[in-house]
Amino acid sequence: MTSYSKEVIRDLASGQLPWPQTRRIMSAYKDDDRFFKMVAVYQDRVAWKDPILLPVSDHLFICQSGDERITRCECGHSFGDYRKNWKLNAAIHVRNTEEALREIYPNSDLPDPQWMEIREFICPQCGTLHEVEAAAPGYPIVHDFEPDLEGFYREWLGKPLKGS
Amino acid sequence: MLDKPASALRLRERLLDSERLMEETGCYDGITELTLRNQDPLKFETLHTKLRAYCVSAREMARRISASPGVREVGEMVVAIYTPEGDAIALSNGIMVHVHTMSRFIKWMIKNNYEENPRIREGDIFANNDAFIGTVQVPDVMDVVPIFHEGTLVGWAGAVCHELEAGGITPGGDVCLAQERFTEGLFVCAEKIGENDEIRRDYVIRCERNLRMPIYWVLDEKAKVASCIDMRESVKQLISEIGLDYWMKVSKEFIEEGRRAQLARTRQLTVPGIYRGHTFYGHVTAGKPGFQLLGDPDWLYNIPIEMEITTDGKITMDFEGTQPWGYHSMNCTPAGMDGGMFVTLTQHMNFEGLVNDGAWMATELKLPHGTWTNPDNEMVATATSWALLLPAYGVFQRLLSRSFLARGFVEEAFVGQVNSPMIEMGGESQYGTPFGMAHFECAAAGSGALAIKDGLDTAYVGWNPESDMGNIEVWEQSMPMVYIGRSIVPNSGGAGKYRGGCSFISTWLINKTSHLRLHTSEHSSRVFDNVGMCGGYPAPTCQKHRAVRNSNIHELAARGEPLAHSPGIDPHVSDYEKNIGGDHVVVEGPYITSPHKSGDIFSHSYNGGGGYGDVLERDPIKTAWDVENGFLTREAADQVFGIVLKDDEDGYPIADIDATVERRAAMRKQRLAKAIPVADWIAAERGRVEKADFAPEVKKMYASAIKLSSRFTKDFSDFWNVDARSIFMPGAKP
Repeated sequence: MTSYSKEVIRDLASGQLPWPQTRRIMSAYKDDDRFFKMVAVYQDRVAWKDPILLPVSDHLFICQSGDERITRCECGHSFGDYRKNWKLNAAIHVRNTEEALREIYPNSDLPDPQWMEIREFICPQCGTLHEVEAAAPGYPIVHDFEPDLEGFYREWLGKPLKGS
Repeated sequence: MLDKPASALRLRERLLDSERLMEETGCYDGITELTLRNQDPLKFETLHTKLRAYCVSAREMARRISASPGVREVGEMVVAIYTPEGDAIALSNGIMVHVHTMSRFIKWMIKNNYEENPRIREGDIFANNDAFIGTVQVPDVMDVVPIFHEGTLVGWAGAVCHELEAGGITPGGDVCLAQERFTEGLFVCAEKIGENDEIRRDYVIRCERNLRMPIYWVLDEKAKVASCIDMRESVKQLISEIGLDYWMKVSKEFIEEGRRAQLARTRQLTVPGIYRGHTFYGHVTAGKPGFQLLGDPDWLYNIPIEMEITTDGKITMDFEGTQPWGYHSMNCTPAGMDGGMFVTLTQHMNFEGLVNDGAWMATELKLPHGTWTNPDNEMVATATSWALLLPAYGVFQRLLSRSFLARGFVEEAFVGQVNSPMIEMGGESQYGTPFGMAHFECAAAGSGALAIKDGLDTAYVGWNPESDMGNIEVWEQSMPMVYIGRSIVPNSGGAGKYRGGCSFISTWLINKTSHLRLHTSEHSSRVFDNVGMCGGYPAPTCQKHRAVRNSNIHELAARGEPLAHSPGIDPHVSDYEKNIGGDHVVVEGPYITSPHKSGDIFSHSYNGGGGYGDVLERDPIKTAWDVENGFLTREAADQVFGIVLKDDEDGYPIADIDATVERRAAMRKQRLAKAIPVADWIAAERGRVEKADFAPEVKKMYASAIKLSSRFTKDFSDFWNVDARSIFMPGAKP
């Protein structure tokens, strides 16, 4: 069975693994122990102690915080119950003028701000840009991901979550 | 005559029986045990490898027969081997989108009693390019031949080429001006076009008299038939070695194995749950010559997608909430939607093992009736289906990528595809003859970023995993234009920790013709048609076209003065305007205009992909390299990425790390200072929603989505705490 050291997985996740090695990992049969190794890598990365249950974005994790399961930023900021859309507890910056769009696209043709705006969802604590939506004005904010966390742990990982 | 099939049932009965068994057992053709694989796994795998080799070899051979640079250079072809009921057993590389569309074509013939009339005999050749029967768009012409073994129909061999000219209202294959089926070009509707391994002369004559450049289509037909015969003979030889009974069983076990493998891969690579995303596509044609006012000339489509992965490993994609079909060329049939699903799966999950129709069977598409994904009117045009398919399946790629990321397989996360706009042309060639052609250099756009590295530059399109732009010299042989520039478009990948792959732009001098019609299609106007992921920005994908009529380029060249080889990086004044005299034209949306002639200049750019991750985390060293090599401008590096560059002693950009750290800290603070809590934004924005204070096209989009989808209506109403129907459809009955 394919398996890699935690160090290799850490370097892979941070984009630091040399390309030939990365390429081999991409082409090889997948390592079945990846999930928990990757979680361990992320756990080392964060300063807080809540156990990570699932990564959901580049710097966002669902973690067990006491009796609650919450979405937490790498910096520690909590976005609340993992079943709710974390974006609703984020800070937002909307680019809906040519001037604001030009800041990101200095040399390109721009969208019409009457047809499309760019919404930046930001961690209110550390300022990390977690997600960008490009949407028509008035379009509801998208809830990107509602994991079946309990089903995943119980049926796919064979390790039911406590309290499930 | 139809000779006795192995099961003694007629094909139609066998097909219906197979579908019933799938429904009853959940397994393909009722195969609940992989008996042959369990008996001798090595033999099982070896046989499938042989079938795949037959396919790959047949396709390579056929590409040498084709005259079309689309097939020869860019590889716009795929071949596959099918069961008697029309399910793909093995396939070649190439435009794999068509493996399942051909399956639909074969099943359509079976269900429509082709056994009775026109009959299915050994040596027959059937062709189709009707998307409502089973293809994506009119230029995707497919040929299939039945495989008989000692009088028994034991399978089919099939091949598809994308034709560069389809004889539609505008030259080329994607026919941007088609607004109904009747303007899309030459249709071949599940037609028997040959017997005894020979294409009928009357069919060839029809092609020759209805196409602007029949040599492409006709030689592609010969290439496809040759590949089908090659595969057929190989399969017959194989059956003579392994026996008919073994073949009939093993070919179906291959598919069931493919289905199970897809389910297993989903369980291995993803996380169950609900994933959501959306994209938009804008179309602007008001006042353009040739467009009939059959519907709104300018419109905006929303494409929301909800993907569910269940704990049994099944993936379901639901398009509820999207827009109705329209009088434009961008509608898509369920066959095309299937094709999009199939080709995306082959790139992300179904790329090893027994690649076949089994993977498709482990998925489900929910395509709301009456929308562009499943029109309730078979007269609609689908010539440019890809315009909406590509953004839609770009969303699918991001949804899948979110699941890979959650599972820890960061190396598989990929922001995905955007449209790769196409240029098509016709008129008088450089040889003084009539011609028509789609220019397929678009088959090498920029990809979305990955979660661990930048996207591919000029090396990716969603519809052909073997991306290739072709050689300039080959294209120049085929059209009355010569290249005066082909270069990377700086900043064309979306910004992010990892940037999207960059696209390129070509600039041509129109040459040796007095009549060249140039048209473009498949690019979104006024909105970006795909986004980034995890904080990455969308790629700028709504570029305008720039041309110069009656240019003074020959005078400039004679004087040895500098020319412009790209539009440059000033969005307000192009290098063409700065350096070249003549009548300058800037066009938004599809390029539909009067013919060009020698001495004019035309430029066309392709799209890059979205970015991944927070732009303020991008590696400064890589950024300096990007600036040095033209992938990013200094302006973008400084203003978007927050990277301070200085010059080394030779004048090359290098990153000032300390200054960059300082600048980024300031940008982060500025970011927080500008942002407001989402709850405050929603409260403020609700007033605008209540008043429907939006552009007419945006309001129309909401009204159409609300009319077609109760779920969209509820989601919209719940989110804003409003009554969406009363806002966007005042006076409508509940």
